[in-house]
Amino acid sequence: MLPRVFSAESIPFSEVWKSTLTFRRGCFYLVEAASGGGKSSMCSFIYGARRDFEGRLLFDGNDTESLKIDQWQKLRRESLAYLPQELSLFPELTALQNIELKNSLTGYVEKGRIEEWLHILGIDSRRDYPVGRMSVGQQQRVGLIRAICQPFDFILLDEPVSHLDEENNRIAARMIMEEARRQGAGVISTSVGNPLLMEDALSLKL
Amino acid sequence: MIGKLLRKNTSPARIAGFLLSNFIGLAIIVGGLQFYEDASSLFTSEDSFVKSDFLVINKKVTSANTWDRGSSDFSREEIADLKGQPWVRDVGEFSSADYRVMASVNQGGRGMSTLLFFESIPDGFVDAGGSAWNYRPGEEIVPLIISKDYLTLYNFGFANSAGLPQMSESIMSGIPLQLTLTSEDGLRRKVMQGRVVGYSNRLNTILVPDSFMEWSRRELGSGKSESPSRLIVDVNSPGDVAIKKYLDEHSLEVAGDKTGSSASYLLKVVVGIVLAVGIVITLLSFFILLLSMSLLMEKNRDKLHSLLMLGCPVKDVAAPYIRIVVGVSVLAYLLAVGCSECLRLSYTGALEGLGAEKGGWWFAPAVGLLLTLIMIIFNVRSVRRRVINSFRN
Repeated sequence: MLPRVFSAESIPFSEVWKSTLTFRRGCFYLVEAASGGGKSSMCSFIYGARRDFEGRLLFDGNDTESLKIDQWQKLRRESLAYLPQELSLFPELTALQNIELKNSLTGYVEKGRIEEWLHILGIDSRRDYPVGRMSVGQQQRVGLIRAICQPFDFILLDEPVSHLDEENNRIAARMIMEEARRQGAGVISTSVGNPLLMEDALSLKL
Repeated sequence: MIGKLLRKNTSPARIAGFLLSNFIGLAIIVGGLQFYEDASSLFTSEDSFVKSDFLVINKKVTSANTWDRGSSDFSREEIADLKGQPWVRDVGEFSSADYRVMASVNQGGRGMSTLLFFESIPDGFVDAGGSAWNYRPGEEIVPLIISKDYLTLYNFGFANSAGLPQMSESIMSGIPLQLTLTSEDGLRRKVMQGRVVGYSNRLNTILVPDSFMEWSRRELGSGKSESPSRLIVDVNSPGDVAIKKYLDEHSLEVAGDKTGSSASYLLKVVVGIVLAVGIVITLLSFFILLLSMSLLMEKNRDKLHSLLMLGCPVKDVAAPYIRIVVGVSVLAYLLAVGCSECLRLSYTGALEGLGAEKGGWWFAPAVGLLLTLIMIIFNVRSVRRRVINSFRN
């Protein structure tokens, strides 16, 4: 797989582009790259939000080329979780409303669990604040909780902790890994130098 | 919550603009059609035997041709010329009986008899329902269509002065007429029964089936073929000015023309103009809705994209906009039908005073509903397309 914008250039060594790569459920991956290396592009390709790449993307051996929008939407509710770098939260909704909007689509997590996660990440006091008035670090934590309010085989995290301190990074990592292990799912997290602190993670260079 | 998110940026002014213009457009269309339905009975004198597209024409009788027998006949060349006109679909000739007809009625012992005449036109021009309008040689009964004016003349002119009872159409149809047909030389004679099967507003004659005319002329006629003095013409559009021009140039008259056809033509033109205005306004309102939904969705494009990124089904994302489209369109339609009904109430009295019969109530609202549904379908498709377009970055 290769993003089309790179096709004319000679790109430096990469374990992802121009090679065949398989992500497995139950494994944790850290994809590291310099900025502009195509991390967000990779996430968008896997999530079906963009198709401007050369090569093939297969889920369980099936080409995603032929997937219809409604099939992508089903995958996004039931198999693929994603926290984009820009978070895509709704600034006019509160932290809790943002999370509940997603949870109402999947009906996956009980209310008490959400409260518990808010507490673990230390933003329970901000739950009724409009997200637009929160700091980026707080927004990232809201986004993380929202991302795991669904069943998934893989969770894609695009620079999920770029605005968190080490302590909060560790807490977030533990929470994500716990949920992934519970579901037997894989984690794919990208970073430009502040990686999600997951133990036993395979490191890939983009 | 999705609805709350996506309805942000909705402009009440634009929606109201659509509602108003769609209401006005639909009200004009529904009201106009309804008025046409209600008023058209004033102009179309029901005549089930001859279609309104048929004109009966003859040459004007002037003092110059009063004594010149045959001068009011149509020659072969004249008929061919008429057939060649672009507004003519078909021309039929009246053929008249060249024998004497005496009709008598026996009414409770009081006998009454009169001389009559017969004419016939090709069967294709008579629409009297198949078997009733047919004659097979040897049959005793001859079906007749007479002018409604004859019955009126009898009822209000003759019956009053002669002390005879007035007769309705159905009573008249039930009375057997004894017909005595005699050849001109008086040597051949046939006695038959006549039965009136219909009355016509537009044919000033006593009509017999073409098959009877052929048979009786063979049996009793002189054998000479005569040129017709009247023609029945099937035209494309009775209101065509070219027809009037041609008739004037050739000194021809249209029989039974009670100016109804030109008034009904005028009504059609006026309703046509009104409908055209209504359609233009409706079309504009359709574009107002299309554009305001597009603008609204363009403003909310990021939100649409974010919702799809969360895995929201396309139909759920489109639903708030579809609800606006359907809600406002249906409201505009209901208001328009209500307005048309009010309008109808206000003119019904006046029209009934003129002797109009109420037209059907469902046609005009059904047309409005159809237009509304078409607009809804197009707008819903456009909304869905826009949601799908915001799927990818």
